[in-house]
Amino acid sequence: MSSPRLSWLGAVRTATGGMLRHKMQAVVIGLVLLVSTASATLGLALLAAGNAPFMHAFAAQDGADLAVSVNTAHATTAQLAATRSLHGVTAAAGPFAEATVQLQYKGQSWGQFTMVGRTSPGGPVDRVVLASGHWPDAPGQVVLDTASQNGGGLQLRNTLNVTGLPRARSLTVVGFANSVTDSADGWVVPGEIADLQTPGTPPSGELLYRFTSAGSEAQIGTDLAEVTGALPPGTVTGHYPWLAAESQNTSNGAIMEPFVVAFALIGLAMAVLIVGNVVSGAVVAGYYRIGVLKSVGLTPAQVVVAYVSRVGLPALAGVVTGVVAGNVLAMPVLKQSAQAYGVGSQQVPLWASVVAPAGMLALTVLAAFGPALRAGRLSATQAIAAGRAPAAGRGYAVHRLASRLRLPRPVGLGLAAPFARPTRTAVSLAAIAFGATAVIFAFGLNSSLGRAAAAQTLSATVPVEIQPNGPGTGAGPGQWPDAAQDATVTAALRAQPGTAHQVAVYQDGVKMPGLPGTVNAFEFGGDSSWLGYGLIAGHWSGAPGQVDVNTSFLNDSGLSVGDTATVDTGTAQVTVHIAGEVFYPDSTPTVFGSTRTLPGLTTAGNLQQWDVALRPGTSTAGYVQAVNGALGGGSPWTATTQKNGGQFYSVAVGLVGTLSLMVGIAAGLGVLNTVLMTTRDRVHDLGIFKALGMRPGQVLTMVVCWIAIPAVVAGVIAAPAAVALNAATVRAMAGTAHTGVPASFTQVFPPSRLALLALAALVIAAAGALAPASWAARARPAVALRTE
Amino acid sequence: MTDTYASGDVIRLDGVTKTYQADAPPAVADVSMSVAAGQVVAVMGPSGSGKSTLLNLIAGLDRPTAGTVTVAGRRIDTLGESALARFRARHVGIIFQFFNLLDDLTVEDNVLLPAQLAGASRRVARARAGELLARMGIEQYRNAYPARMSGGQRQRVAIARALVNEPEVLLADEPTGALDTATGQQIGQLLRQLNERGQTMVLVTHDAVLARRYAARTVQIVDGQLAGAVGAGVPA
Repeated sequence: MSSPRLSWLGAVRTATGGMLRHKMQAVVIGLVLLVSTASATLGLALLAAGNAPFMHAFAAQDGADLAVSVNTAHATTAQLAATRSLHGVTAAAGPFAEATVQLQYKGQSWGQFTMVGRTSPGGPVDRVVLASGHWPDAPGQVVLDTASQNGGGLQLRNTLNVTGLPRARSLTVVGFANSVTDSADGWVVPGEIADLQTPGTPPSGELLYRFTSAGSEAQIGTDLAEVTGALPPGTVTGHYPWLAAESQNTSNGAIMEPFVVAFALIGLAMAVLIVGNVVSGAVVAGYYRIGVLKSVGLTPAQVVVAYVSRVGLPALAGVVTGVVAGNVLAMPVLKQSAQAYGVGSQQVPLWASVVAPAGMLALTVLAAFGPALRAGRLSATQAIAAGRAPAAGRGYAVHRLASRLRLPRPVGLGLAAPFARPTRTAVSLAAIAFGATAVIFAFGLNSSLGRAAAAQTLSATVPVEIQPNGPGTGAGPGQWPDAAQDATVTAALRAQPGTAHQVAVYQDGVKMPGLPGTVNAFEFGGDSSWLGYGLIAGHWSGAPGQVDVNTSFLNDSGLSVGDTATVDTGTAQVTVHIAGEVFYPDSTPTVFGSTRTLPGLTTAGNLQQWDVALRPGTSTAGYVQAVNGALGGGSPWTATTQKNGGQFYSVAVGLVGTLSLMVGIAAGLGVLNTVLMTTRDRVHDLGIFKALGMRPGQVLTMVVCWIAIPAVVAGVIAAPAAVALNAATVRAMAGTAHTGVPASFTQVFPPSRLALLALAALVIAAAGALAPASWAARARPAVALRTE
Repeated sequence: MTDTYASGDVIRLDGVTKTYQADAPPAVADVSMSVAAGQVVAVMGPSGSGKSTLLNLIAGLDRPTAGTVTVAGRRIDTLGESALARFRARHVGIIFQFFNLLDDLTVEDNVLLPAQLAGASRRVARARAGELLARMGIEQYRNAYPARMSGGQRQRVAIARALVNEPEVLLADEPTGALDTATGQQIGQLLRQLNERGQTMVLVTHDAVLARRYAARTVQIVDGQLAGAVGAGVPA
């Protein structure tokens, strides 16, 4: 008599034999576990990445609590070095020489960049993360902040020209990097800074500090006072606290979190569903074999072992390859996410690489356990009968109904088939519904984000901007353009035949009684109704005395649209009527009005830019060239095309596409599995159909129709679910960005479009069903009839 | 051994061989035989002799490795899968040992199925199905499900289904093999009545009594080869 251990091994061996005999099922189990584990790993990684990304990156990269700009001509090296040991300073770096430069790319102004000279990206404070390329090791090389790569489309090896210097200089992009505390726009070798310095500007350096206490504005103020007090008067010329960097990231990348979480949860739910369906289906498919084995003496406990063994090996192979695939797949996605969060780099946390495969394996065992226990309790003959066919009586009425309908017979047979296995059908339906929801949601979110981008950047209505070249380009050294220089711009714009609208935009801080801090004010020197700001409520301020405000203004002041407010412009106190709430995602309260409504702010120093709309048919590039030609090479103003397409939005759209594709593939795989299992269940019936004259095309139609009703129902469920999910996600994203949402941002599904998108369910189902349907269509009738 | 040929043959096999695995002996080896219109031929032989494979080849359910198969005037071994399926639907009726009825369809829907697959009009198909069910004596079960019927009743449903498209050839694979003796005799009688109306039939069986009683000619097959014929050329 064999020992108990040998008996267990025997059970495992017989089950494994069955698995090897059904290679396709083993492959599907492995494949589903692979995709599910990969998407679970990615989902968990994204959840982790979205969880306080700034704070995690800040801690990991030793971000600077405070970046201080100093005039290095006012203090000695020793005095600057002494600030490292001030009370409360735990770490310090610098001074790094810095210079503000004006860059041009391919003849177009590329804006103002703060360049810092650093020998390496590392150090005790603000370790810069190199995303691509290498750190500058010679003059003429620059590593740019990753933001400039996405927003402007710069690539490695591009050459930028530095303007405003006595001698022409160019910088070749050798890398892209990110500083979590936004300590610079670009990095060069330290020796390069002196050559980049605009004549007449004082030498500048950057000191980076970490303090024991820097959690609040007050604490940072104390820290700054400590540093300022230790240096000669006039040395500190500027500062940048970490809270400002955090705020910047919150209003940009962090608003991704809601949709990343939504996709991650959809992916996880689908992974659980599909694995459960596959494994329980595989177990049920093994009933016949288990029945036969029981009839030759397998005990109920051995049956459970046999079942778990049967799915265990392919599942194990699937989760191992899945976690590797998940990590590989997560790399580009996390790179995008890190760019959007502005945190340099993000990795798949180790716990995600452990929890995802372990969870999927546990789920596999759990899914196998129920049917295994049931099989263990069945008698041998019951198990054999259960393994041969679905429970008698299920779906018969539907077949009867389908035969009465005037449908082609293969269609009727296909439509009625899912009712024989209601649980399996329900799980497939759920998988398709999740997949279709993700796809529809992705399209909707893409539209919503597009509208948000257009409203925030005004890219659709303002194709051209006239921007200053920076201080030092005006009437004198370090001065902004004066009124006479500004007037030449207005004249040049009016003279251009392609100008449809143009308006000067002034920006300054104003005060409002009852509101702490400064209120950001934009004033328009003319008709601004064409600018196209998204209106959340009310209307655009068309008359003197009216202003529009952003959501933060209303939240902070407690006022509503229609109320009046008093604004202190510095020269006068003005009572204004709040005409509308505009989409302007910023935590700072902001008002928008005409220069007539907010007098005293239209100084040359406050003139930020001109926004220009073009007549239909006008070439943007040609217009920009013509305006710059009219302004002349010495003008402090430059016409540029609207480059601010929204880095966040382009990254977010790419991420949405990647995630929805993954969820869609997982859903298709779920369908493939269901149809494959049903094909195996019904292979003998397929033989009968073929023997009776069903043609391959009719078989294909019938098998695809097996999944048609679940797909239609899934589409019907997915469409409203996606609409609701999109609205909730957009509102959650807007909430993170301190703004309300114009209704048009969520109304992105006109009925015809929604109906079309709901077809995604059918596409997913058909794509998943096609392979097993083709197999069924090609199967020889004699072979199918012989198959048990 | 080679069977004799005659003009007006409905079934004709020339040098047909079927091999499933390259290193295994053929299931059917170099078989040539013919069946005249209106004739009943019984194919007999021990288990594994190649009877069912021969029937599958005649039905177009499988393809020969070598040789030609001509049924109802068409060479079917060269047809594509779709053409073969269309051919089966229109020219061949098959009766299986274990009935092969579809459990989730009613008796009537089972019988209607080949007609519907062949594109017959609904009205004509239903009329034909009703007539056949009446002829088989199971009209009262038209809305019943096969699983609740006796073996004999199920085989009658299978025969009705095989005849619904009025095929030139009826192929029966052990039609009484799953039935008790009395029921088997009833089914045999039914088959005889069909033959009396001119139905050409090939019966695969290892029941010598059934073959002797209902077939005009018996073909013996052993190890895939024809071993002999009894009553060759005797008209039904």
